[in-house]
Amino acid sequence: MVDFSNQPTMKGFFAPTRFEADVYDCEVTGKIPTELNGAFVRLGGDWLYPPKFADDSPFSMDGYISMFRFKNGIVDYKGRWVKTPRYKADLAAHKQLFGNYRNPFTDDPSVHGLDRSVQNTTPLAFAGKLFTLKEDSLPYEIDCNTLETIGPYNFHGKYKSLTFTAHPKVDPTTGEMVCYGYEASGLETNDVYLYTINKKGEVTREVRFKVPYISMVHDIGLTQKHVIIPVFGFVTSMERLKEGKVHWGWDSTKPAYVGVIPRDGEAKDIRWFKGPERATVHTLNARTEGNKVILEAPIFDSNPFPFFPPIDGSPWDPQKARAFIRRNTFDLNSKDDGFTEEKLFQMNVSDLGRVDDRYLSLPYRYAFTAYTDRDRPFNEARAGNLRGRVSNCYGRFDLATGTMSSYFAGDTHSLQEVCFVPRDKNAPEGDGYIMGLASNYAEMRSELIIADTQHLEEGDVARVILPFRATSQVHGRWMNEDQLPFA
Amino acid sequence: MLTRRDFVAKLAAAGAAIGALSMAPNAVLPFEAPQRVRGEVVAFREVVSFHMDQPYIDRTGTAVPYRPPQGARSAALVAHLSEEEFRRMQCYA
Repeated sequence: MVDFSNQPTMKGFFAPTRFEADVYDCEVTGKIPTELNGAFVRLGGDWLYPPKFADDSPFSMDGYISMFRFKNGIVDYKGRWVKTPRYKADLAAHKQLFGNYRNPFTDDPSVHGLDRSVQNTTPLAFAGKLFTLKEDSLPYEIDCNTLETIGPYNFHGKYKSLTFTAHPKVDPTTGEMVCYGYEASGLETNDVYLYTINKKGEVTREVRFKVPYISMVHDIGLTQKHVIIPVFGFVTSMERLKEGKVHWGWDSTKPAYVGVIPRDGEAKDIRWFKGPERATVHTLNARTEGNKVILEAPIFDSNPFPFFPPIDGSPWDPQKARAFIRRNTFDLNSKDDGFTEEKLFQMNVSDLGRVDDRYLSLPYRYAFTAYTDRDRPFNEARAGNLRGRVSNCYGRFDLATGTMSSYFAGDTHSLQEVCFVPRDKNAPEGDGYIMGLASNYAEMRSELIIADTQHLEEGDVARVILPFRATSQVHGRWMNEDQLPFA
Repeated sequence: MLTRRDFVAKLAAAGAAIGALSMAPNAVLPFEAPQRVRGEVVAFREVVSFHMDQPYIDRTGTAVPYRPPQGARSAALVAHLSEEEFRRMQCYA
């Protein structure tokens, strides 16, 4: 018997949907730009069965991959569960067998030793293959046309880490991917394995090093010369897991460390800088200028996640869970381990920011992310008491001038992560379309927004309307037709 | 002297003020705020609130509860109709 009635956060728009879907020739308002040929692929989660414990993290949701396939102005939608061993075991048992987030001690004994991964974080197109990524396990290969699950992938046995980041970086100048795994040797180990994989999918380099303390290393920065590794606040231990808790807790006494390692360097070359309490969950971009390494990212003052609570028992503080676009500068000539921080915009933003991927690791000008504009209208009668509490705008932030242009989604909508798609391969930086899924709380449906970056204030050029609520997304990526063998 | 009419007027004004407070961003609702009991012990009430575009269970006692729209789907548009009006409208049902 499946019963979600005692799950207080899984109501209304946020109730699990649990179905797979195909919608051919989707309803569209406006006009799909004909130059958009490829797919917007989303990865997130849904609960196949209710969580075993009420305070589990939403990051334990079963992976669900979906795709808006664009072809000659027509859009088809497809959604499928990522069929992991965990999904299959739960389905066979007709119940949730797995316990708290990344804590195998809380599992049903019948699944001891089984891959616990839920594959719910980031879709990746690389070396002609489509993957799902979750930072506690290897990537899973997915058929890009059917979205059916093929299985775990270890790059011909050359990728040795047991885990793979949800945020690998692809260098646009070479096509090679810099990626890593943390807790790489196993649960509660402080090893990071850093890899370079060429555009054919062959591992060309591996460096192994240790972080100052075991923590969530969710994203990195990549420059043409360096890799930047933020380590911050989240802590874990075997004792904690044996007590049955979720993997992470927040320790506000822990300094934020940032490692800088040359891309051609060895473990001995890594240099750790140290700063005050911060959370750099996602990065925007990075670059090396002479002896300075510069990282720009939406950085939180403290713990962004209420479901990974402070270890000292104090209540989670939403006022500190706000991200600001900041610049960290690391001076490789300095004699101490300090670095500088600059707030580039005074407004807080969603930390799910993106740049024009053609400029990754290079000097750049534009960043894109969602934010909350409290001055825009919100229809509380139709959409609930969320005025000022939802991301209702996408912004194009000009880091050269400190200005922003803005797209507003509507008075009953909130916006998920934005994605930038260049108008064509030779278009100037930031010239093209932003794309992202909007939740329409009044109509109880999801709508894919497409807006022209040159005319954001004028609204979207097209919306793809789904006749239902799509599963929640963590990350979404645009994939061109030359990246994957689409039918 | 407080007349019955004055008392009703004050009661209505107080109700409106509490209602307005509940709609304000970051407002602390009197009935969900931390309540001091027996000296220094503070009791918090868990509520479903909203952060980063998702509902979550807040245990701080200071968050604004999430209240989804009531009846924004399905029958809301015809709820005010009488049974007879509804049957006339649905003439093919």
